Amino acid sequence: MAHSETLDRLVRRVAAQVRRRRAEHHAIRGAFWASLPAVAVIALKGPIGPRAVIIAIALVVAGVLVGAAWGLLKRTRQSDAARLADRAFGLEDRVATALEWAERPDKTPLVAALVDDATARVSALSPRTIVGRIWPREARFLPVPVLAVIVLALAPPVPMPSGRLPDFTPGGEEEEKEARAGSGELEQRSPRETRDKLRPPAFEEREFAARSGAASASTAGDLSAVFKDTSLSSQRPDFNSFLKKGDDRLKLLEQVDRLPDLASDFTTSQYKMVFKKSKALAGGMRPNDISPKKLKELLEEMERLGRKGGNWNSEVGEGMDALEGGQTDKAMEAMQKALDKMRAQEEAQRGGKGLRGGRDNERGGSGRERGRGEGGGADDQDFGDAEGLLPGKGKSNSPKGEASRRLQASPYDVGVEGESRRGRKDGYDTNMTGRGGQMGSRLQYLGVIGQYRKMMEDAITRESVPRDYHSQIKDYFQALDER
Amino acid sequence: MTQDARVQEFVAAFEGLRAEVEKVIVGHREIINHVLVGMFAGGHVLLEGVPGLGKTLLVKTLSESLELSFARVQFTPDLMPADIIGTNIIVEDAEGRKHFQFQPGPIFAHVVLADEINRATPKTQSALLEGMQESSVTVGGISRPLPAPFFVLATQNPIEMEGTYPLPEAQLDRFLLKLRVRYPAIEELNAIIDRTTHARPVSVERVMSGAKALQFRELIREVPVASHIRDFASGIVMATHPQWADAPEVTRRFVRYGASPRGAQALILGAKVRALAEARYNVSADDLKALAAPALRHRVILNFEGEAEGIDIDNLIAQIVEGVEAATARGKEPFLR
Repeated sequence: MAHSETLDRLVRRVAAQVRRRRAEHHAIRGAFWASLPAVAVIALKGPIGPRAVIIAIALVVAGVLVGAAWGLLKRTRQSDAARLADRAFGLEDRVATALEWAERPDKTPLVAALVDDATARVSALSPRTIVGRIWPREARFLPVPVLAVIVLALAPPVPMPSGRLPDFTPGGEEEEKEARAGSGELEQRSPRETRDKLRPPAFEEREFAARSGAASASTAGDLSAVFKDTSLSSQRPDFNSFLKKGDDRLKLLEQVDRLPDLASDFTTSQYKMVFKKSKALAGGMRPNDISPKKLKELLEEMERLGRKGGNWNSEVGEGMDALEGGQTDKAMEAMQKALDKMRAQEEAQRGGKGLRGGRDNERGGSGRERGRGEGGGADDQDFGDAEGLLPGKGKSNSPKGEASRRLQASPYDVGVEGESRRGRKDGYDTNMTGRGGQMGSRLQYLGVIGQYRKMMEDAITRESVPRDYHSQIKDYFQALDER
Repeated sequence: MTQDARVQEFVAAFEGLRAEVEKVIVGHREIINHVLVGMFAGGHVLLEGVPGLGKTLLVKTLSESLELSFARVQFTPDLMPADIIGTNIIVEDAEGRKHFQFQPGPIFAHVVLADEINRATPKTQSALLEGMQESSVTVGGISRPLPAPFFVLATQNPIEMEGTYPLPEAQLDRFLLKLRVRYPAIEELNAIIDRTTHARPVSVERVMSGAKALQFRELIREVPVASHIRDFASGIVMATHPQWADAPEVTRRFVRYGASPRGAQALILGAKVRALAEARYNVSADDLKALAAPALRHRVILNFEGEAEGIDIDNLIAQIVEGVEAATARGKEPFLR
């Protein structure tokens, strides 16, 4: 079944409109890109002469014609034109579907009805331009080169610079005369050139003599002005020593452990500052590799802090003695003791003000009041009674247990027994509620922390954790580490 | 009968069914349309909404307006598969001999309402799987065909999660459409009050037979789909897959698994019904856009980040459709090609 001539006519009409718009679009682009060399040609109308204007106009016209031809010659697919017509006339893809299915061998009986329907609707349309003009990006910038062409065409020829680069090779008589007639600067250079024409000037002389200027009283080769702000100014000018001095300064900058860490607020805790430095001493290295110099610096700093009211100066003194005796291990032990004292003193000073009642209070009071274990006493559990979410637990009456909740059925039911600490640092205080909070710890603190850290790392690797949570988890363990 | 007459007959039947349902159900025009789309496309429909919005009433009214058998199964945790499918029972004949006789369950009805489907155990839910997919059930090693047309309408309550068994993805995928029944507007609520507290109950007439419904299903499959529309549907489905090279950013960030090929089938079939219901002989891009959310919202699974951020799946699908539409050959693209 051949599709309707009406549909074909519509598609041809739309395709022609598309080609026309494309020609306009590409003609503007061509005009822009051709106008750039046209500006250059007009700018050179001095050397080129009156032909420059003609050449420039010809370039622009050629650009327009090439662009338009390119737009006209680009192929417009029938299906594209049909879809454009469908959208423009609100035909809901009737024309495109009818044209495509009319020629298919597996067409259904409904296709004939579709073609008739599409034809009837298209016949009722009044022809109009449906393809809008699409301005290219270059259209915004086109006035600039066009204006430049007009202005340059009307203006007198631009004088071309006649200067040449200085020629350091021995010149002829004329060149020598020009140099003599030049500035004072050149006068200074000329005698040197005449003194030994065959020898090219030394690098330093050639560069810095020119920079010193005609008004300068310094002679060629006097580099003291260059080093005016350095300690080298009084010394004999020596470029190598200047470089060496610079290298020394760069090396100082490379010692990052001496630079202040601007990202951290060291004013909040002396202990944290010293702790971080002590970690840097041993971080990732064997004990034998600890730098005695760094250790000494740290001990000195601790001693300085201790003079302001600390009680760890005796340990620091022991450490200094051990270090002088070459016993790094003993010095490290003494430093660790001093660090413990520093921490203990800081904890005592803080007195729970940043912990909202302290850990003991949390166990006995607010932790219980949060409503988990209303029965209180020894029956308290960390998370209260089971709610029957798992088979065999809780108060379920079902012999099979309650229904298991699917993974991630609700993102809100995962609770963290803890709360954000306010005060000295962003972090978390875990509350030891339940029976565990009332008895002495029987586990190695660091062992438990390490175990949970590993679980955390595994979980982060395995699970999809929101990006924002990564930093929170990391901060949490960092806070534990520092305590 | 001419093609035009066939289409007009379908349009009349569609409108007639909708009118009958709207005698009872106030508002929810879109939900009613989509339920009918699911029925004529030969698929099953899952209705999700809080209690009291008229989900069950809608299905019941629809079944009353069809000349088809209807069965309602109230799903509970102790419901067993045999309660749905049926079982072999021992019967005694006139001569006193005993033998097994198959007692068909409620699934052997044309229209099955699975009310609160997520309250039954997965074992019982899976009893529906074979019936929904194959239109047959196997009991005692014997496969028994279900009556045609066979149409399952299931309801579930999204807020009561305790003691429920959310449908697994495999079973969700077997529903052609998932519809969200929303709370009515105040005018609709007023109309509900007026209509339901009236002394005289509304009577619903049977306006379509099962044979007619099957004829219409054949007609729907004849609706032509242009290749660019088919590409658009494929693009939408592929864009729900985070692993796809051209997947949009929202998909990569929030989606764990994308829609299956059944999603694309549902999209096209639903779009065909919608086109025909509007007396149109072809599928348009607007049909796909209208059906994208019902056909894909239960097939796209959010990842943890999506769940934690509270991403609305309908908004996500709308963004995906918008992105695909912009990327495919629409708008200025044919002009600049």
